[in-house]
Amino acid sequence: MTCTVTLRDPRSVARIVNLAHRFTCRAVRIDATDDGRGTNAHFAFEGPPRSLERLRMQIDRVIAAEGAA
Amino acid sequence: MDGAAANGGIETEVNGAQAVLEVLVREGVDTMFGYPGGAIMPLYDALYEHRVRHILMRHEAAAAFAAAGYARTTGRVGVCCATSGPGATNLVTGLLDAMMDSVPLVAITGQVRRELMGTDGFQEADICAITQSATKWNVCITDPRDLASTLAEAFAIARGGRPGPVLVDIPNDVFKAEVEANRPQWVFPATLKPRADDNAIRAAVALIRSARRPVAIIGGGVRNGNAVEEYRKFVAMLGLPHAQTINALGAGAPGDPHDLGMLGMHGTKAANKAVQHADVLLALGMRFDDRVTGRPDRFARDAKVIHADIDPTEFGKIISADVALHGDLTTTLRALNEALSAGHVPRFDDWAVEAHLLAGPPPSDRVEPGILSATDLLDRFFAAIPDDAIVTTDVGQHQMWAAQRARPRHPRDYSTSAGLGAMGFGFPAAIGAAFAHPTRPVFAIVGDGGFQMCLPELATLHRYGVPVKIVLVDNRNLGMVRQWQELFFSERYSATNLSDNPDFAAIADAYKIRSYSLDDPNTADDVLARFIATPGPALLHCHCHPTENVWPIIPAGQTIDEVMEAKA
Repeated sequence: MTCTVTLRDPRSVARIVNLAHRFTCRAVRIDATDDGRGTNAHFAFEGPPRSLERLRMQIDRVIAAEGAA
Repeated sequence: MDGAAANGGIETEVNGAQAVLEVLVREGVDTMFGYPGGAIMPLYDALYEHRVRHILMRHEAAAAFAAAGYARTTGRVGVCCATSGPGATNLVTGLLDAMMDSVPLVAITGQVRRELMGTDGFQEADICAITQSATKWNVCITDPRDLASTLAEAFAIARGGRPGPVLVDIPNDVFKAEVEANRPQWVFPATLKPRADDNAIRAAVALIRSARRPVAIIGGGVRNGNAVEEYRKFVAMLGLPHAQTINALGAGAPGDPHDLGMLGMHGTKAANKAVQHADVLLALGMRFDDRVTGRPDRFARDAKVIHADIDPTEFGKIISADVALHGDLTTTLRALNEALSAGHVPRFDDWAVEAHLLAGPPPSDRVEPGILSATDLLDRFFAAIPDDAIVTTDVGQHQMWAAQRARPRHPRDYSTSAGLGAMGFGFPAAIGAAFAHPTRPVFAIVGDGGFQMCLPELATLHRYGVPVKIVLVDNRNLGMVRQWQELFFSERYSATNLSDNPDFAAIADAYKIRSYSLDDPNTADDVLARFIATPGPALLHCHCHPTENVWPIIPAGQTIDEVMEAKA
């Protein structure tokens, strides 16, 4: 699974990688650049399909929480 | 400045700590719970004689739980604070509890001076890293100019969308720094509440109209989304049988004959069976916790599922939804009520009567005459307390016995650590609730294990005269673990025997808290009446049967209709 996201908080990159490992997935590629306004991050994950599905939902939750204000 | 408008400013020269308190005032905070220490001393200096009331707890964990009790019973953001290092780490359990049960909380922690950060300074902890997965958001404010705006943002995030905890870490020298006077403050617009899509509402209504055996199950979203009124209208309009998770006890109207009670591992047989026989399941503001579903692949297996939640990541997480209603629960239920009442309104009274056939008091162990039964005690307790009582519980057997018997008028009148199951929650949460509701009776039901995790809070009760009444269900065991050892671990009772418990009444006396002791079931009503009528704080120490179990129970990993009602 790949996903490209814009994160307000650059620490969320680490949070997403930690989540991947929690769901028995593996981050096989991480590219992130911070342009001062946000962090553009591209991830590629490997893992069981159900775990990847849950990971995707949790990534959505991290992004939603960042934007809750 | 974009989007967010400037609106006023801090009127006088202030330091960072004073700016923090000004934001708290602007956010409507009247009470905060905390414990001081080195790094956070500037905030405590600003608190001295400030109108924001600070309640000194006796442990930071209790401060977080008290703030949660305040938030759960009011719907407002609870606030707690602690110093750096051990003070901050002691908050973690309370933060995760709030995360699991979607409780809006802001925790303010002191941090070592900026120049010391990263040097393993005295009482330094990277609390933002530690709490990354225990908070909805966290931040360390390293620029004093950001204090007011970031703290306001923390409140907006805590209460916005699905509520949750936010931690704001502030270095000691940032508290002391001068903040520019009259600096414009960011004002965050009120979070827009998502509204369920019209097509999804139509699809849900069509499913409801086609149903023969629908069941509604309601979760903590009914409390967080202030949806009680719309929910009661919804189930009454349809004559719908409905059940609650533990976080939604009190959602049904008092005396509603279609209310099946709590579902799940220790829920009612009627609720669990009805869900298994349902052809349409309306899951409203709930997240299909494993304590509710048992084996998810066999949960409500014949039912089409309509799932309403404010958090879209809940859809399909455990149980697939045939119709997903993403939105604020009040708005969603109002839309359903309007759409249903605009056309044919089906009635499910016959099915509700059928679903209710299994209803009845929960089974309980037969206890030898003359020995106090915890279930009998709690039956009498809930019959005796005033209608406007607020009840909190700790975690364990008493928590389940209480949940089976409680009849709160509203979900905000009943608080328990549901998702995290954190022992030590009940008593400090009651303190928080009592500060929020000074004119209402507040009871904490606790076990002998959990009570010993927060005994020092008796000092808090004494100092402030908080009229919390503690019902201590003492069975001289870590009862729930003991029960599982009895049923599922071949009666190998490892580390659950608390037969050497202290004299709790004597401990209460030492803290100058009025205490009562109860061991004779024949005097239970009389002692309960005197205890409830006691002005101010009080402890009722109940010496209960040591091996009474919680029934029914659905063993972990079983389907929710594989109910055990007694030991095999």
